[in-house]
Amino acid sequence: SAPSPPKKRCTTNEKTQKMELHILEHSLKVASIAKEGIQICTHGLIKLAFLPSKTRCKFFSLTETPEDYTIIVDEDGFKELPQSEYLSVADATWLALNVVSGGGSAASSQPIGVTKIAKSVIAPLADHNISVFMLSTYQTDFILVRERDLPMVMHTLSSEFTLLRVVNGETVAANCSGVTNGFVKPKLVPRPIIHPLSSPSNMFCVTSLDPDTLPSVATLLMDVMFYSGGGKEMGAQNEDSGHIRFFSFSLIEGYISLVMDEQTTRRFPNNVLFTSASGELWKMVRIGGQPLGFDECGIVAQISEPLATADIPAYYISTFKFDHALVSTSLC
Amino acid sequence: MMGSSKPDILWSPHHADRYVICDSELSLYRIGAVGTSEAKAGALLLSEETAATLLAINSDTPYMKCVAWYPKHEPECLLAVGQANGRVVLTSLGQSHNSKCKELVGKEFVPKHARQCNTLAWNPVDSNWLAAGLDKHRADFSVLIWDISSKYSPEAVPAEKLRLSGDADSGMVVTKPLYELGQNDACLSLCWLPRDHQKLLLAGMHRNLAIFDLRNTSQKTFVNTKAIQGVTVDPYFQDRVASFFEGQVAIWDLRRFEKPVFTLTEQPKPLTKVAWCPTRMGLLATLTRDSNVIRLYDMQHAPTPIGDETEPTIIERGVQPCSENVISSFAWHPSTQNRMVVVSPNRAMSDFTVFERISLAWSSTTSLMWACGRHLYECTEESTGGGAAEKDIATKMRERAQSRYGHDTVQLWRNHLLAGGTDPQLRSLWYTLHYILHRLSQYTEDLEQRQQGSKQSLIYSGIKNIIKSSSGTTESRRCWKGSDRPTDVAQYHSEERSLALQLCGWISCGPDVDVEPFLKSLEQEGEWERAASVALFNLDIRRAIQILNKGASAEKGDLNLNVVAMALSGYTDEKTSLWREMCSSLRLQLKKPYLCVMFAFLTSEPGSYDAVLYESRVAVRDRVAFACMFLNDNQLPRYIDKLTNEMKEVGNLEGILLTGLTKDGVDLMESYVDRTGDVQTASFCMLRGSTPEVVKDPRVQCWIENYRNLLDAWRFWHKRAEFDIHRSKLDPSSKPLAQVFVSCNFCGKSISFSCSAMPHQGRGFSQYGVSGSPTKSKVTSCPGCRKPLPRCALCLMNMGTPVSACTGTGKSDEKVDLPRDKKLAQFNNWFTWCHNCRHGGHAGHMLSWFRDHSECPVSACTCKCMQLDTTGNLQPSDNV
Repeated sequence: SAPSPPKKRCTTNEKTQKMELHILEHSLKVASIAKEGIQICTHGLIKLAFLPSKTRCKFFSLTETPEDYTIIVDEDGFKELPQSEYLSVADATWLALNVVSGGGSAASSQPIGVTKIAKSVIAPLADHNISVFMLSTYQTDFILVRERDLPMVMHTLSSEFTLLRVVNGETVAANCSGVTNGFVKPKLVPRPIIHPLSSPSNMFCVTSLDPDTLPSVATLLMDVMFYSGGGKEMGAQNEDSGHIRFFSFSLIEGYISLVMDEQTTRRFPNNVLFTSASGELWKMVRIGGQPLGFDECGIVAQISEPLATADIPAYYISTFKFDHALVSTSLC
Repeated sequence: MMGSSKPDILWSPHHADRYVICDSELSLYRIGAVGTSEAKAGALLLSEETAATLLAINSDTPYMKCVAWYPKHEPECLLAVGQANGRVVLTSLGQSHNSKCKELVGKEFVPKHARQCNTLAWNPVDSNWLAAGLDKHRADFSVLIWDISSKYSPEAVPAEKLRLSGDADSGMVVTKPLYELGQNDACLSLCWLPRDHQKLLLAGMHRNLAIFDLRNTSQKTFVNTKAIQGVTVDPYFQDRVASFFEGQVAIWDLRRFEKPVFTLTEQPKPLTKVAWCPTRMGLLATLTRDSNVIRLYDMQHAPTPIGDETEPTIIERGVQPCSENVISSFAWHPSTQNRMVVVSPNRAMSDFTVFERISLAWSSTTSLMWACGRHLYECTEESTGGGAAEKDIATKMRERAQSRYGHDTVQLWRNHLLAGGTDPQLRSLWYTLHYILHRLSQYTEDLEQRQQGSKQSLIYSGIKNIIKSSSGTTESRRCWKGSDRPTDVAQYHSEERSLALQLCGWISCGPDVDVEPFLKSLEQEGEWERAASVALFNLDIRRAIQILNKGASAEKGDLNLNVVAMALSGYTDEKTSLWREMCSSLRLQLKKPYLCVMFAFLTSEPGSYDAVLYESRVAVRDRVAFACMFLNDNQLPRYIDKLTNEMKEVGNLEGILLTGLTKDGVDLMESYVDRTGDVQTASFCMLRGSTPEVVKDPRVQCWIENYRNLLDAWRFWHKRAEFDIHRSKLDPSSKPLAQVFVSCNFCGKSISFSCSAMPHQGRGFSQYGVSGSPTKSKVTSCPGCRKPLPRCALCLMNMGTPVSACTGTGKSDEKVDLPRDKKLAQFNNWFTWCHNCRHGGHAGHMLSWFRDHSECPVSACTCKCMQLDTTGNLQPSDNV
């Protein structure tokens, strides 16, 4: 394929540039694997996590919570998973949105994670009753929306963003040929937090590693992913001390992201995990007493808006049953 | 870019013999000639001539992703290593006593958020600046420009972070970059722009190339493209940049940054490295994954982009530096031309020089030129001063052309002297032609001669045909001269035989058949043996003995000739005598062919003279003359036919005597030209041909045209003109008709046409001089309408060229220097004009103007007239 034809050539001033919202081309499935059924899925999961050259999967995320394993995977990756009674799949197909160009001048420090997009993306979508599924990674934040909601999403966000769509690897302008008729006017109502919150005592780390070093820590990661939280008594012991079992691994477009508690990071050799000035520890806030389901809107907004108002950096990871926010400890 | 496992290679920017291989560790090698003391045992052979010695290994920096060598002389072995976690570490190889180096080594530059460092580049001017291109991390910057001399880390490093990273010495950690660029994007490759060291070209993930100016980082120039890997600036053309994407390389011109100038043909596999050759202009090397071929693109002749339509010409070729081995990476040598070291995945290295294509050119003279790389070789024929190797025929022809070979039309035989006088065949040829023409002139003078017409053509047709027409042969048995002893040798006479003898040069024209003048001339030339044998064949033993005695007493004479004379004087016709017996056997030991045939003649049986006739060292003309005297009517034609065929077969010019200038002669000449390539002799000789048919023979025309082309190629234009004149005299049909006419601006008639009613003859330009109008008119006006001719753009005089008839009046003012006897006006006064702008003037004025100017002399005309003339700037290499 030839290098793409020139689309634009300009001298720009970044300050005046509109933020870009990329609508990625992955068609995603969100699934849950029951803890007791994990062994029948490990064949496929190991392939998706550690042997990327053997699949055409470009988007894979696995998050372990005390309740289950949540899998977010594209259509190619989904074929690797067996049909099973332990595997429950959310009925919708999801699309991932990604905010790209940061406004703001070079000098100002950027808010981290969902805080940055709380007011510009999450709140407007909540106002329009669009349910979102969040996945923060080391590299970026993905906002998953149902494919069927896309026209509404584009309509909602077109004023704030330059909308770009990825088609066959090419980023092209997405035109939201404004069919505004029939869209419900947003109800601008206050959003109280309506779900119970809990905070485990262990601290978390959002990190990454060089894909080239993945083979050297593959056995350790397999241990952490599939065998460390397993025993009933161990889990009980953790919960006794107020610790929560939470581990997230994602391999998205070649980039690895890891979320794990501080104790788990110590099991890794020196210099393998990316740590740096931002390598501080994060406190987890778990949202929901009952499984939240996929239809309720505004849950992310309820949490992220107040954090953004207070300028508190935060990550947000939705799982099949509950949501998890990671907030910076330095400002707690 | 470098994978963690596949080794990459870097040349030291200043030490032409050092390079570093980087894979999981850094290894410094020194390259040297095989067998020198430097290359000790354990050295790795890189090529037939070179070997590498491992000098140092550095394994302090794990997770290397990219390496860049400090560009300044000191410290010499300082390397920046970009790691998988985005840190940039300064390290060194080998011992360094440089204090600055000690201060810098171990220094770490840590980004705010860890992610892979993809690329590093030192600023070419401000060598403290190191640009690092990182992967994307949220809204963070992907390009950090570090100042390696910064000494502090302004933000307190959190204790937690230190513990995690295992840093003990926080003084060596720098976390505050000088500049941050490329927010919200990854940087896959970058390079500083050599034209302006404050400018940086970045290639980001979001499919764009962007140029940042550090003086105003909020401004950028960018273009969207997929080709975002491996941006690299052409060191010879600093506005030219190459970048690649998968299998395709895009070449950019920074002055027209909208789109690539062109893209190279796509490779089936993804590219891994693209590098401009630092020692050769416009040469780009590319490597694809798992390949054993490095593809080279020569953009030497690629034009700078003028219009969108310009298709650049790029010569593409592949080289295999280490046969079947897959290449992991390669690096051009910084100073040795076209040299590179390649490294394979298993770290096998090889030293390789890309051989330039060789272009070769013959000059019109015998020298040969070939160019390879920056070297130009000339090979010329060595003039060994008559040494062993014979000169090439082209050299000979050139020398002969310079000495006016072929142009002596009066004494034709002299042409062989003009040709150098060393070639016996040419000598024979020109003598033959001389005798033919001489004999012919005798006939023409003697108009009373009967059968003149048939004789004339007979003379041209060679002895072979002359003999065939022979009739009325008389046989006689003459006595030995000065003795009344009769010989038993029969001699034959006829009119045709004596004509043949004349053509052989033995006897001169006229009724008398005396060989004495011929003997005298041979004596003068010192050809004693030949003279003696001719005398003997004329049955004059005494004369022969006298000649031999003379030869022996002459200066530098051979005393052996006296011995031969003695032997000769003992001649007896006694069949069984001892003399006869000894002579017939001992004669074979005589080295000189003419002495040999003398005794062969004396000892042979009457009528069988094979020992004489087939002695190939004896000149053909002497053997033929001998045969004409002693062979009967049956033997003679057989012998002549046989000899003719032999001559034709080998292309011996002596055979022209037999064939004459007939079709037969052309056949003979053909095999001569085939053998020697001497079209010069062939052209001159055949122009003398008797009938138009001979000259019209396509072979003859081909030789003539080739000789003319040769003269042109040698820039012997005057010689060419001379030859053409010579040719038109001998072959009037070769004159071309006039092709160019000058017509009057007013009446439209040709200014030369009006003065003669005849169709024009003569070559091209000569026309303009010939305005021999009988009605006396000024040469500067049209002979037809009397209106003035155009003015010369330089002297502003009206043009026009006088002819001799007019100059006689002495009226021509500026042309008084013209020699009266010259028929044509001097070239300086000829009309010349540019076919493009149609301005012109006197040829001499024009020539001198264009010696110093390139543009037309007419003001406001910018025509570069002389440059349009491909031969206008060439000088003839012969002078009149």
